[in-house]
Amino acid sequence: MQSNNRKYVLISFIVFVGILFLFKLFYMQVVDDSWKLRAQQLAEKRREITPPRAVVFDRKGRKIVSNMTYYNLMMVEANITDLDTVAFAKLIGWTLEEVRNRFKEIVEGEGVYRNPHTGKVTPNYQKIRPYPFIKELTDDEMSRIAPHLDLFPGFYEDVTSMRSYPYSSGANVLGYLSEATREEVDADHFYKPGSIIGRAGIERFYEEQFRGKKGVKYIVTSAMNNAIGSFEDGKYDTIAVQADPIKLGLDVALQKYGEKLLQNKLGCIVALEPSSGEILALVSSPSYDPNLLVGNRKIRENYPKLLQDKSKPLFPRPLASEYPPGSIFKLAQALIGMQEGVIDENATFPCAKSLVGCHNHPQAANIKQAVQFSCNPYFYSLTRKIIQQKKGKNDFENAEIGLNLWAKYMNSFGFGVKLETDITGIRSGRIPTAAYYDKWYGHHRWQYSTIYSISIGQGEVTLTPLQMANLAAIIANRGWFYTPHFVKSIGNDGPLEQYRKKNYTLIESKYFDPVIRGMHAVVHESGGTARLARTEGINICGKTGTAQNPHGKDHSIFIAFAPMENPKIAIAVFIENAGFGGVWAAPIASLMIEKYLNGKTSDPAKEKRILEATLANLIAEEE
Amino acid sequence: MRKNDSVIGQLDWPLLLVFFLLMGMGLATVYSVAYDPEHPNLFDFSQKYGKQMIWLAISLFLGLLVFLIDSDIYRRFSLPIYLFVLGLLVIVLFMPPINGARAWLGFGGMGIQPAEFAKISTAILLARFLSSLNLKQQNLRTVLLANLIILLPMALILLQPDAGTFVVFTSFLFVLYREGVTYDPIVLKIINLIPGVNFKQTWVGSHFIPILFAVVFLAVVTLLFSGQTVTYELFGGIEVPGAYSVILYIFIFIALIFTIVRFFLSKRERKQALIIALLSFVLSSAIVIVIDFAFHKLAGHQKDRIELVLGLKEDPDGRDYNRNRAMAAVGSGGLTGKGYRNASVSSVRTNHVPESETDFIFCPYAEEWGFVGSAFLVILYLFMMLRIVVIAERQRAAFNRIYAYAVAMILFYHFAINIGMSIEFAPVIGIPLPFFSAGGSSLMSFSVMMFILLKLDSQRKDVFN
Repeated sequence: MQSNNRKYVLISFIVFVGILFLFKLFYMQVVDDSWKLRAQQLAEKRREITPPRAVVFDRKGRKIVSNMTYYNLMMVEANITDLDTVAFAKLIGWTLEEVRNRFKEIVEGEGVYRNPHTGKVTPNYQKIRPYPFIKELTDDEMSRIAPHLDLFPGFYEDVTSMRSYPYSSGANVLGYLSEATREEVDADHFYKPGSIIGRAGIERFYEEQFRGKKGVKYIVTSAMNNAIGSFEDGKYDTIAVQADPIKLGLDVALQKYGEKLLQNKLGCIVALEPSSGEILALVSSPSYDPNLLVGNRKIRENYPKLLQDKSKPLFPRPLASEYPPGSIFKLAQALIGMQEGVIDENATFPCAKSLVGCHNHPQAANIKQAVQFSCNPYFYSLTRKIIQQKKGKNDFENAEIGLNLWAKYMNSFGFGVKLETDITGIRSGRIPTAAYYDKWYGHHRWQYSTIYSISIGQGEVTLTPLQMANLAAIIANRGWFYTPHFVKSIGNDGPLEQYRKKNYTLIESKYFDPVIRGMHAVVHESGGTARLARTEGINICGKTGTAQNPHGKDHSIFIAFAPMENPKIAIAVFIENAGFGGVWAAPIASLMIEKYLNGKTSDPAKEKRILEATLANLIAEEE
Repeated sequence: MRKNDSVIGQLDWPLLLVFFLLMGMGLATVYSVAYDPEHPNLFDFSQKYGKQMIWLAISLFLGLLVFLIDSDIYRRFSLPIYLFVLGLLVIVLFMPPINGARAWLGFGGMGIQPAEFAKISTAILLARFLSSLNLKQQNLRTVLLANLIILLPMALILLQPDAGTFVVFTSFLFVLYREGVTYDPIVLKIINLIPGVNFKQTWVGSHFIPILFAVVFLAVVTLLFSGQTVTYELFGGIEVPGAYSVILYIFIFIALIFTIVRFFLSKRERKQALIIALLSFVLSSAIVIVIDFAFHKLAGHQKDRIELVLGLKEDPDGRDYNRNRAMAAVGSGGLTGKGYRNASVSSVRTNHVPESETDFIFCPYAEEWGFVGSAFLVILYLFMMLRIVVIAERQRAAFNRIYAYAVAMILFYHFAINIGMSIEFAPVIGIPLPFFSAGGSSLMSFSVMMFILLKLDSQRKDVFN
């Protein structure tokens, strides 16, 4: 028996296993990365900290959007021991049934994984993962629950921040926040399921300026998913940085006043600062309290109601509703006529009611008076001169060339094009071109007599109230405008690049004088159409408009700027179904102007009349 | 006095050094794993490291005691010691179970596990028995007796139940093999039942134990590959059924060994070696094919169970939880590790790896020190085991040699299974890493085992046998 050689068998065994281990260890620890990933998955949680969104100030430094601290009541099922469901339900003020249903809802709702690519839904509820049991509790609600939470292991509070609107005003301007959709999460790594994102208004337009910089905290977590401590003493952590405050051109007092004036009315007000293009107020009525759409709970409760409301409170009328501008359009016609040289400021046209209907007024001897009396036949003839300029071989060709020329002028006013205002949901209105009518009537099958209603702002022409206010600003500036915008500054930066560039219309400034004098007469001289806008001590220049409405009573329109000598505010007021422009829109505009310039109003009777008026039968409207 | 001088002089310092090194590293790792910032003191006896310090002191004290006792006592009292521990193993079965096993003999707050000490008593009696044998005259009785010495404590340990220590006892089979105890008497008894056959000796019988292990190893490998196809990208993506792939590996392996070995052999021996190589290739291929065939014939649920045990089915958060976490800890260590006290997966605080201060202590160590550290530890253990083999081989007394081999193989088992279970090479069986894991019984028994060996070795020249 050569048993002495057998020691080599044992030695080989030992060495073989040792070498095998070394190879395997080398592979696992040095070559293969998959276990490192697994370890990270298990023990190192990358927690992203989303800073509160930027706060918003109005032009006078009043904080109009701030952040409030809310609490989520979190739950980790694995940590729940002997839950006294009755006591727990009592603590949070729910019924037993509701508590049980919520557990079920978490498993079937939050505890479900949706594959972003296939959309397939698979159950992914994990007992060791935290889920919000109740979301968005207020400080008050939480302070009642928190002291007793240690009786219910597995439940804990978690702080979140949500928007708060101390002035309850400007909902259509500010927009609201809601959870990012699956598409948004896929498109931008900033968002995770449950992240909030700007949903409308400036919150949406300036999303990147609002959201700030996320912080990252690497923490070591235990098998029960409890945080143990920071990873490598926070060597890789970064701090969350809240975005710089955003300052708006909006005057929240004016905005609120406008909302008050429009109560029980359908319509809108847009006020601009002509020298800067900043939007001072943008009222849409009816509107809603922005605090109604804060947080999931309230959104779920209130959004459907707002959406189903027949008076469309979510619809931003000043930006998105396109109305025929009516007589205010005559201002642009007069300016184009003079610039084209087809008339001068002393041109006169008879008030021939056979051409187009008119009201009774003295004969207009010049442009100033034509504006003052808002003479329809005057502008019929004037516009005819612009469009039928005999530049072609026949009237059809003349109309084609003339209309396109006219449209180019109109576009330079920002009509028929989308203004690049810093908000979503803007519409362009419509300035018809030759191509447009060709589609309707056929090439060279139409001329001025076919399309004449555009001369008085009816027919195919539509403008948004924002464009109407901008017209007032253009006239106040005598020929140029800054694109209307909300944001005055972001941190230390001024407004965005595109709002620092003057847009010039194709009208030379010298032609504005007669129009402005006419607008002054509209308010301040007898025979003017907006005498109700007269305000003690302020020279208001305005123009009424009445847009024909095939569905009901005419819309009441008024645009104005003031003071005449040094315009500080340009405004457009549009009241649906309120009839003649001078009756409702004009006094409302004058109150807004006075409020903005003087900080208060001086004519309580005028104000009272407006406040008490119900110009929209909101219930009948629902039809 | 002269004798004491000679004890110090004859002491195997390399082995003692490695012993202290492992103990120190173990304590440092326990301190790191169980570190509690509110009790940073290593001597805080309310903490696991504080307790480990106590066990360390007790172990060293016992070691010193062992050193003062004449080593002949173990040989002479081997049977009473064996029976005493056997008695303890019986008593322990009547103790209240802790963690589902009746393994602990409690004294107040402290407890010891007799099974740990059964390893020593069995080693001593086995050494005594084998050293008294005339190996040229083996018969059925000697084989059975030798196996009975091993099987008795094994049976009692299985009743606790303690699967880990039970498995460790099979390490004694290697000792039997080394000493030339053959299973031939049993094999012959069976084989010679066949009419007309009358062998005097069989190769299978005399190399029964390595063959048994080789077959088990082959079976496991076959099952791992069975039922899947291996694709060879190098050869144009040929797909080969798993079992044939295994046969291919066996062929390559045997061919490789043969080519290396033939350089050291004479012409005649080369011929023999070729025959052995061919024969072992044919035999192992046959085993592979039989097992593969049998596996495919198994019912679905039996197949499932085997696949789960072998880790072919992934269940990282269920049945595979421990191994998955352990491998994540070891694998995430990288080349140089995450740094001392930075084990994010396997520290007690995070608790991803269970028992990370006892049975899974290799995980935090490997996580903190990376491949450099784990390779160092593996080499340290290899050195220790091979050093013990060297010590065994220089003994004049058979008793000493057999005991030393027993120690080497027990250490080998603990090393192979404990580290193996964290790197997918062994099933998850809870046995401690010698000198490293926190826990009194294992530290004491391994220390006593080691000091007996050192004492025997230091007196090797006094013994004339």
